[in-house]
Amino acid sequence: MSGFWPVLKRELFAFWVTPLAWVLISVFLIVQGLHFSVLVKNFSEMGAIESDQTPIQAFFGNTVLLYLVLFLLVPPMTMRLFAEERRSGTIESLLTAPVSAASVVLAKYAAALLTYGAMWAPTVLYVVILQRSGFVDWHVVGASYLGIGLVGAGYLSLGLFMSALTKSQFLALILTALVLLVLFILGIGEFVTRDGSTLHDVCAYISVWAQMNDFASGVVDSRRLFLDGTLIVLPLFLTVRVVESWRAE
Amino acid sequence: MISVSHLTKRYGDVVAVNDVSFEVGKGEIVGFLGPNGAGKSTTLRILAGFLGQTRGSVRVCGHDVALDSLEARKSLGYMPESVPLYPEMRVIEYLAFRAEVKRVERKKRAHAVDSAMEKAGVADRATSLIGKLSKGYRQRVGLADALVGSPPLLILDEPTSGLDPNQIREVRKLLREIGKEHTVLLSTHILGEVESSCTRVLVIAKGKLVAEGSVDEIRRLRRSPAFMVVVRGEAAKAEATLAALEVFSKIVADTAGDVTTLRCTWKKKGVTIDESAEQAIAALVNASVPVRSAAPEQSRLEDVFAELTEEPEPVAASERPGRPS
Repeated sequence: MSGFWPVLKRELFAFWVTPLAWVLISVFLIVQGLHFSVLVKNFSEMGAIESDQTPIQAFFGNTVLLYLVLFLLVPPMTMRLFAEERRSGTIESLLTAPVSAASVVLAKYAAALLTYGAMWAPTVLYVVILQRSGFVDWHVVGASYLGIGLVGAGYLSLGLFMSALTKSQFLALILTALVLLVLFILGIGEFVTRDGSTLHDVCAYISVWAQMNDFASGVVDSRRLFLDGTLIVLPLFLTVRVVESWRAE
Repeated sequence: MISVSHLTKRYGDVVAVNDVSFEVGKGEIVGFLGPNGAGKSTTLRILAGFLGQTRGSVRVCGHDVALDSLEARKSLGYMPESVPLYPEMRVIEYLAFRAEVKRVERKKRAHAVDSAMEKAGVADRATSLIGKLSKGYRQRVGLADALVGSPPLLILDEPTSGLDPNQIREVRKLLREIGKEHTVLLSTHILGEVESSCTRVLVIAKGKLVAEGSVDEIRRLRRSPAFMVVVRGEAAKAEATLAALEVFSKIVADTAGDVTTLRCTWKKKGVTIDESAEQAIAALVNASVPVRSAAPEQSRLEDVFAELTEEPEPVAASERPGRPS
């Protein structure tokens, strides 16, 4: 893992010293804050008997808002990771230092992941607020955050891969958004295909919507974990291969 | 320090580097000279471990760059041609990052950064944002980057490109200083540059190594191609006088107002330039042509290449043109 730490530190520096991360986090927290307050208001007006959901479930599952923010946040977070270094040529200094391709890829990924985690961290406050006025099942909360972490980790991994495919940040952004959109739409296919068909099963399996519904109800399914693991590891592996291939170019 | 044998690099159908072999020994400052597009950068990028070669073997400080890339990269400092830097970092932050990436021990890092900044002359801009630095300073930060951790070998791709004459002079001085402690391989397309800072020269053209030798040996190849004479009025008389000397193969006159510039190409054989120049000036003065200036034209690198690549027969590595005969 030669070069992992310094590259990770530099990437975090680059994220946080430029306005991008702050803008993204602000947008994210505004959207999520509104989302949460609207939810809480609705639930408090409904009364306990009418709802078979908890606010936590509604916050993480059964909402399109979650994917909307992911679509908006992940592509700009990952677009610059490799594309910018290749456009500006700094990749040449970086790769001629004694670092391995794998550690550069993992360091950049870890930086994106930590930033993603930092974005979600303040939302734990919402749960704390809920707990002050009612009962909170921390297992469900844990499963929900695990779900959101895994989905985000997969998305970031895909975004990192897209960033390695092009020298244009903008193209990386578009490609990432497209791939995420395609994944989401395939998942939605669960609701439009016939029950029992193979396509239906496939769609249901990769449906991020269904996954978040499960996790937000406290159901952690190992098949989902396997899918998420694949979505994280495969793009990372491919990215390492792409970075290594630049030498042969 | 560097051992390159039969190095070839192809990009599709284009052969960028064609069967190049050379050695660079410890303590040398070697200039890698060639016109733009000759394959200099490609060769240096392969040496630095950024590109893979198509054929041939390259060893840097005893490590094969293809098989033992990490070790090879550890032993060299490389400055790419475009001097890519992160604009959002301060100089000292950037160099600290580079020191860590290059695996300078934690305890020695601060010292390594300070001494690199000192050597490259950027200590006074340590806390400036790189994005706000002038081109000259950025070039020096690039040098400091290559120097950080004091690698035994430095590979510098066009270290003076894009600098103004004052900055070039400073960088050349710097290179001579650096050359006392490090082995240096630097590329350039400017003849004067190797003359001012290198001990040995490798000349590359169209991907092939065409000459190799000491600076003096290469300098000898630098024959003035023409004699430039500027006269006022009487252009025809001046031309006739010069033609009568029979040392020029071609005379081209260019008149602007009453001032005429005559470009007189030296004959290829049997002409001693210094003597003939004296004769030409004397002849013009005797013919009472008003001469504004007269001087042999400085040879350009292209002329040296023309000279070098004219040799039709292939020569063995040990007896390349440029060696004393």
